Amino acid sequence: MTTETILQRAGEVLAPFSKGNTTPETNRLDVQIEGSDLPAATSVMLSNDLGYLSAITPTDLGKEVNKLELIYHFCEGAAITSLRIHLPREDQPDIPSISDQIPVASFFERELGEMLGVHVVGTPDSSRLFLPDDWPDGVYPLREDFTVEQAAPVTPHETLPEMGRVGNKFTVPIGPQHPALKEPGHFEFEVDGEIITGARMRLGYVHRGIEKATEQRNWIQNLYLLERICGICSHTHTSAYAIGVEKLAQVEVPQRAQAIREIVAGLERIHSHLLWLGVAAHEAGFDTLFMYSWRDRETVMDLLETLTGNRVNYSIIALGGVKYDFTAEHSRAINKAMDYLEERIRYYLHIVTTDASFLQRTRGIGTMSLAEAKHFGALGPTARASGLERDVRIDAPYGAYHRFPISLITAENGDLEARFEVRMKELLVSCFAIRTIVDNLPAGELAVRFPRKVPAGETISRVEAPRGEAFYYIKSGGGESPTRLKIRTPSLCNWTSALNKAVGHQLADVPMLIAGMDPCFSCNDRMITVRRKNDSQTLSWSQMREYGIKKYAEIRETK
Amino acid sequence: MNVPQNYVNQLMGKITTWARVNSPWAIHFNSGSCNGCDIEILATLTPRYDIERFGIKLRGSPRHADVLICTGPVTRQARERLLRTYEQMPDPKFVVAVGSCGISGGVFQGCYNIVGHINEVLPVDAFIPGCPPRPEAIIDGIVKLLTHLQNGTRPEPITFAPQETA
Amino acid sequence: MSILVSLLSLMFFPAGISLILSGMLYEWADRKLVARFQNRIGPRWFQPLADTIKLLSKEEIKPHGVNNLLFYGLPIVALSGALTAALYTPILGLKPTYSFQGDLIVSLYLLSLLTMCTGLAGWNGASRFSLIGATRSLTQLFAYEAPFLLALLGPAMAAGTWNIRDISTYASDHLMFLAQPVGFVIALIGLMGKLELPPFDAPEAETEIVAGALTEYSGRGLALFHIGKSVELVVAISLVTAFYLGGVGNPLIFLLKTLIILLFMAMLQSMLTRLRIDQTVGMWWRFGALLALLQILVIVLLKGWLV
Repeated sequence: MTTETILQRAGEVLAPFSKGNTTPETNRLDVQIEGSDLPAATSVMLSNDLGYLSAITPTDLGKEVNKLELIYHFCEGAAITSLRIHLPREDQPDIPSISDQIPVASFFERELGEMLGVHVVGTPDSSRLFLPDDWPDGVYPLREDFTVEQAAPVTPHETLPEMGRVGNKFTVPIGPQHPALKEPGHFEFEVDGEIITGARMRLGYVHRGIEKATEQRNWIQNLYLLERICGICSHTHTSAYAIGVEKLAQVEVPQRAQAIREIVAGLERIHSHLLWLGVAAHEAGFDTLFMYSWRDRETVMDLLETLTGNRVNYSIIALGGVKYDFTAEHSRAINKAMDYLEERIRYYLHIVTTDASFLQRTRGIGTMSLAEAKHFGALGPTARASGLERDVRIDAPYGAYHRFPISLITAENGDLEARFEVRMKELLVSCFAIRTIVDNLPAGELAVRFPRKVPAGETISRVEAPRGEAFYYIKSGGGESPTRLKIRTPSLCNWTSALNKAVGHQLADVPMLIAGMDPCFSCNDRMITVRRKNDSQTLSWSQMREYGIKKYAEIRETK
Repeated sequence: MNVPQNYVNQLMGKITTWARVNSPWAIHFNSGSCNGCDIEILATLTPRYDIERFGIKLRGSPRHADVLICTGPVTRQARERLLRTYEQMPDPKFVVAVGSCGISGGVFQGCYNIVGHINEVLPVDAFIPGCPPRPEAIIDGIVKLLTHLQNGTRPEPITFAPQETA
Repeated sequence: MSILVSLLSLMFFPAGISLILSGMLYEWADRKLVARFQNRIGPRWFQPLADTIKLLSKEEIKPHGVNNLLFYGLPIVALSGALTAALYTPILGLKPTYSFQGDLIVSLYLLSLLTMCTGLAGWNGASRFSLIGATRSLTQLFAYEAPFLLALLGPAMAAGTWNIRDISTYASDHLMFLAQPVGFVIALIGLMGKLELPPFDAPEAETEIVAGALTEYSGRGLALFHIGKSVELVVAISLVTAFYLGGVGNPLIFLLKTLIILLFMAMLQSMLTRLRIDQTVGMWWRFGALLALLQILVIVLLKGWLV
């Protein structure tokens, strides 16, 4: 279905609920509905295949309007259908949950609860996701009147609900400082011997309050802030932001700049996937592959440094274009590097598909069927490995992808091996795309003038990060700073699938399973709970914490 | 009789210092960083930089480590865990803060969920600035710390002249 | 006089200090080889020595709630086991200091003592990671011990004796690794399982259970376990070399042979992914033990025929 037909159909099926439709952009349909109609509206959207829930944007519209706004974004191809709901601006207004229809919504709903102070009725888990345990109750960061002083720590309270105490299973905490996780996150797995019977997760260790912070920085300063959401996919974040803001300001970025952006995006994808390959191999205990892949990754880092001046956080995007140009020398360097890399990537592809000891850890493990991938809302290579054809660069091309498209890579098996395969093949596609662009770099300017104040409006931009779709909702009030910036990063959506799949596997498979979805905690510091079985016992985090504190206090005393 | 005793003590001291300087086992903790510094730290293990030449091994358990390499602007949630990790390390131990975030909060200054810099939580022995610092810079910083330890001194803090505001 | 000789050999050569030092040398060789395979430079020659001294000089933290006797005693017992086993093995191709009928079994048991102590230490530790590590250690012990013993039994049966010295003497006249190739391979791989080297390092899997059974150890205890492991490395390699690669003889050539085995082990370490604990056990009991048994059968038959 084309974008127009999708939007048209959406308009039709949502007509019974609609209190008003608008079309803010050509590929978007905004439908105002009543909060109580939300489950029904979601259900018709899903049954007509009109999109997957990509994000929920909570906003406080302020004292004058005196409303809270929730926007539910459903994406299908390039079409975005948004359900807009207004709630009274009080403490904990009600809204029904849609987690029963869309599992991944449970995460978003937890965010709604803690960030905006909305009470989601019927959500399976309403514990904290990002905010720390010692955050005071009743203080919601996304509310307009929030000040940092209000957030002074209080004594932590019980955030994890107690589970049933029948049986005597063993809980293994992994994190927040655990060798497998290069980034902090906290998992709790209930194990019976070595088999996992339940999984739960708590994030918030990397939650820095960036969305709120963007409101206090001007449009250009935000580039530097958003770059550092994640060191691995920093270019993706700035791309999404820049594309959105440029749309709002109605600035046309020159072709050359767009092409350069795509080259850097491709290079970033190469570095990210090679990094991931090394980390996943390290987690499997295959250190040699880790060493080799990171050694080859240095080639890309060198390239990026030559082009942009920095190995990480390249900061090549300026609002309206790019900052640095490509010379003939750069092109030569890139071509040479691509020669080397393609050969190495083919070698790694060969290894991950044929090395017997590696396959023992990846084949048939974590298998996710196409239906499950859809249901869990998986994104990126994790989804594509199960055969789900979802790639923003193809569904909704942006920037130079119109002119230099890339091909879709999918696999059928949906197990860990497939995920490795998909990522390696994607790299080959990226290499090819980079070569093509470098050989056909459009002439032109690097950047155009960008206004200091961005006209009022709101826009959505979606970009394919190495891990999946990154979703940006940008709202401007006509000033020098955004009024609201909502970021939904891909790993958030992939957690559901990873943790659900963990149940039934061995404890030893956990690092590989988590690595298989290429988690980026920094990108998405959001919480997610997964599965609870009523016949296991868990220690809540605060219980373990108390125990630990007591233990070390006693050690100190005996010293 | 004191002379041989002193001599033996000195010798033991020298040997111990030599051993500690040449075998600093590290543990890495991310207290909320964007991960840029962490991947550069990991990169130091890889063939191009190979930090094992200096005797540095990345360990899993804090009990086995001498140096805590910490990144990030210390989010509220991570603060407690950071302290606990530090407490679990046996003496003598050192803390290295990597990255601008660890030094001052970096770009995240003023954000509501961060404490600020690592020095507010732990006593830091060496700061390695950069956003992120290159692996060479990280190795350089750690080697500088080790050299100072060898000489028995703590590294001198570098102060900058206050900026003239226009 | 003989007591003096015994004491000297216990403390300096071939057991004792020289053994510990050679353990460190072997450990360095292993790490260096693995680093080279990984395209890196690797550690300096005195690295294991520095590691050990540093560990000995660190503060020892005892977790609350563990059994004191076990906590402090286990590392000592582990190290003693390894050192004592050395007395019966032909280190450097020289005749073992002591020997008696059946010392093969005693030696192997003493070597396993190290693993059992690790297991107990893990159980004793107050964290769940060490418990899981301990369980895995003991499971792995349970798995490879039988095939490894059977593999060593091959030459023993061929020589017709339980005495290590006699077996080595017999082996220096007959090339065992040609006569019993299957046994040789099993012995080599069993060696890696015994030493918990990758790919059989599930009990110590850093990315899964922090540091396995020894998670809670620091300072002196860790140092002793560490030394024990390197001593075990030397002793076990010497045993396998003596049995399969030509027994007692020229020390230099013996050293060379042990290094060849080390090279092979380093190669395997670099080339394979870590096996999951159930995969390790499964593999051992299905292939390892079976093959070793087959080999024994062949030997029995051959002996029956030839004699």
